[in-house]
Amino acid sequence: MLSLSGITKAYGPIRANESIDLEVEGGQIHALLGENGAGKSTLMKILFGLVQPDAGKISFNGTAVKIKTPQDAKELGIGMVQQHFALFDGMTALENIRLGLTVPPENLRERIAELGNLYGLEVDPDALVLSLSAGQKQRIEIVRALLGDPMLLVLDEPTSVLTPQEADLLFNALRKLRDEGRGLIFISHKLGEVRALCDSATVLRAGKVVGTCDPRETDTDVLAEMMIGQRLSAQEKAPKSFSNAKVVLSAQNIETRDGLRLDDLELHEGEILGVAGIAGNGQDRLFALLSGEAARGTQIAGELKLRDEDLSIIPTRNRRAKGARFVPEERLGHSAIPDFKLSDNTLLTKHSAENKDNTVLRRNRWIRKQAAQIIDYFDVRGGDANARARSFSGGNLQKFVVGRELDSGLDLLIISQPTWGVDLWAASRIRQEIQLRADQGTAVLLISQDLDELMALTDSLSVIANGVLTAVRPTVEWSVPELGRAMAGELEGMVQ
Amino acid sequence: MITWEHRESVGWQTSLKSIGIALALTLLLTFAALWLTTGMPLEAFWQMLTYPWQAERALTQWGKALNPAFYLSLIALGLSISYRANVWNIGAEGQFAIGSVFAFGAWLLLGMPNGLWAIPIILLSGAVGGMVWAAIPAALRTLANTNELLVSLMLVYIGAQFLFYLSNGPWEMSAAMKPVPTRTESIPDSLLFTSVFSQGPKLHWGLVWGWQVYLVVTALLAFTLLGYRLSVANQSKRAERFAGFSPVGTIWIAFLFSGGLAGLAGGIFLIGDTGYLVDQSNFLQNYGFTAIIVAFLGRLNPLGILVAGLALGYLEGGAGWLQASGLGDDSISGIIQVIALFCTLGTATLVTHRISWRGNP
Repeated sequence: MLSLSGITKAYGPIRANESIDLEVEGGQIHALLGENGAGKSTLMKILFGLVQPDAGKISFNGTAVKIKTPQDAKELGIGMVQQHFALFDGMTALENIRLGLTVPPENLRERIAELGNLYGLEVDPDALVLSLSAGQKQRIEIVRALLGDPMLLVLDEPTSVLTPQEADLLFNALRKLRDEGRGLIFISHKLGEVRALCDSATVLRAGKVVGTCDPRETDTDVLAEMMIGQRLSAQEKAPKSFSNAKVVLSAQNIETRDGLRLDDLELHEGEILGVAGIAGNGQDRLFALLSGEAARGTQIAGELKLRDEDLSIIPTRNRRAKGARFVPEERLGHSAIPDFKLSDNTLLTKHSAENKDNTVLRRNRWIRKQAAQIIDYFDVRGGDANARARSFSGGNLQKFVVGRELDSGLDLLIISQPTWGVDLWAASRIRQEIQLRADQGTAVLLISQDLDELMALTDSLSVIANGVLTAVRPTVEWSVPELGRAMAGELEGMVQ
Repeated sequence: MITWEHRESVGWQTSLKSIGIALALTLLLTFAALWLTTGMPLEAFWQMLTYPWQAERALTQWGKALNPAFYLSLIALGLSISYRANVWNIGAEGQFAIGSVFAFGAWLLLGMPNGLWAIPIILLSGAVGGMVWAAIPAALRTLANTNELLVSLMLVYIGAQFLFYLSNGPWEMSAAMKPVPTRTESIPDSLLFTSVFSQGPKLHWGLVWGWQVYLVVTALLAFTLLGYRLSVANQSKRAERFAGFSPVGTIWIAFLFSGGLAGLAGGIFLIGDTGYLVDQSNFLQNYGFTAIIVAFLGRLNPLGILVAGLALGYLEGGAGWLQASGLGDDSISGIIQVIALFCTLGTATLVTHRISWRGNP
């Protein structure tokens, strides 16, 4: 039904898709598997006319086609259900559906009821979208796509927002659609559901096709290895023992109101502890808990300690005064203010009790000097201390932010996705600096999606999935299949 | 094709340019409004522009312009602190009223003294009164997550009723021949601020002393961590928490500052302009509401607010003069204020964005 061949798309130096071939037949649910950043979304945007490929051919039902706009895709019979819903909260389900259609049918209300009955996707047409659950909103999106009677339906990470019960209902609907002879592309990184639902699978890694297989007959371990790659042994860090080192950060039986669970974690002086996981599995909540940005009362059970002090009652500013530093994933609007000069951004984390000069007055000369030192030491390019943060590239701004936090008196560093969206050169510089601080005795907690980075840097590793952290084990003891299963939230013995 | 582009860097020239455009637009629309209302736009405009020189007692006229300018910019400065932090206190009118009530109450509590020593206490009580009134929306916002915009606005009317009740009830002047409208006792002349110029009472020393508060607050914003903290809060809530500034603390700071300055203005007004409390329509001058316009006309910048306050004060005097000279109606000042506000807000986008004209490809 659908055949893609040689699809290539590059964003600057990053090759999001590199000569990708993909075959989907009617009457099949085809899984597109891959980690975040593997190129799944780019490929689907190309298929739906949202992005134009640099090279490659698309043929649909045996004829070569060019898809320039989503309208072209719809006319061909390709429907898409996006991961993020495009719905207006203040309008009813019916109004939302009508908005998405070029020519709404006369009997729209009846058609919605009909489709709902047929596929078990009941939608209350008069309910305001803001009152609906994620699963109900998704049904609106699916019904909207089905009204165009598509031959091929693409679903981008459809279960990421669903409860298990809602997911089961969705799978029933998808099976019915398949049995009618339609083709479906199911994008996911959850191995269990892919094995349960899909008839064939294409696995992407780093923008390339790694292989195709029948997921029903392929072992989860093998799928995980295809997805993540055989990279463990390549850059292994020499194992070190930290049993004699002092504990800097410890967490016992922590539960939070927003569903984070952390049973047992000890981070020692000089240790780099990695937290692996696919984006959106609670990394933000973990970071907020550790940095103190989480609202008071978020932690409802357990003990979080920095050295011997209960960290949960210490506000962010005082955590810094005690030698903790934090680098969040987002730069613009979180670790830096886009419209502030770099010098003003320097002050953002340098006004705690230990920087006494800045607690009342702004010492502009001191701030500018600090900024200049960071820029100089970390080789931040693209402007001086008077340039606005917005005007720097991701890599240069990240070097500045990391440099700002890696100052003297650093005891604990919590750093999240430090090289995400950063050029290779800056990434290697940042990794070097993290390692250097650890060698000097700083305890580092590194939250990352990048397994290569985690393998190269960390001494021990835990995996976060659905907000739950696995037990921490030395990095060398993790096997690839285990990692894959843990990242998919399916590791045996893991508390769910 | 016309598109909006985000400017990479914003220089002060860009800001000045956008202010220039706003001014030109305002003038143009003002002419249109004057033409529609008076039929003689040039003559009316000339009268409004030159009124301090038209009258026989020029200094009195200047006092008329500078007096509202002072109240407007002092209150607007407080409001700008709140708006910079994305906290929407629009109840300065009520904080002004309660400031006057507290100031008068302090004088009563002190035993109706007539020594100058009482002035600082009276003024301080005014500021405290404004803070107390502003603390209500702050507390409701931080504890119960109410909308501070609605609460602060509604408290204006409650505050005005308080003023009305006190000046007509418990604090009413006891005299055989009661004046109309009813009012409280007068603060003795020895306490009242005297006029700076020998002619006319409008520009009094209270305003001059109050100016120093304006300078102190401006310096506070420019040179302290407090000012920095507010601008961080304005830019990003997430960065605010990351920096370790509590958003709840920011809400309190914003309300206490803006309420305190409005209350202080109310205290100064009491002992500089009226000398007694009187029922609300005769006491409240709408300064608290007009100051919202002044804060935005001045782009939330202390210097800008000063200029905007002067301009609106001048405008109020001019509109009064226009009516006195029989050319038109003084409600024109309200129309011009709104014109200026829209032009300023509209062109503010030009500071951060540019319009780019490109041919279709």
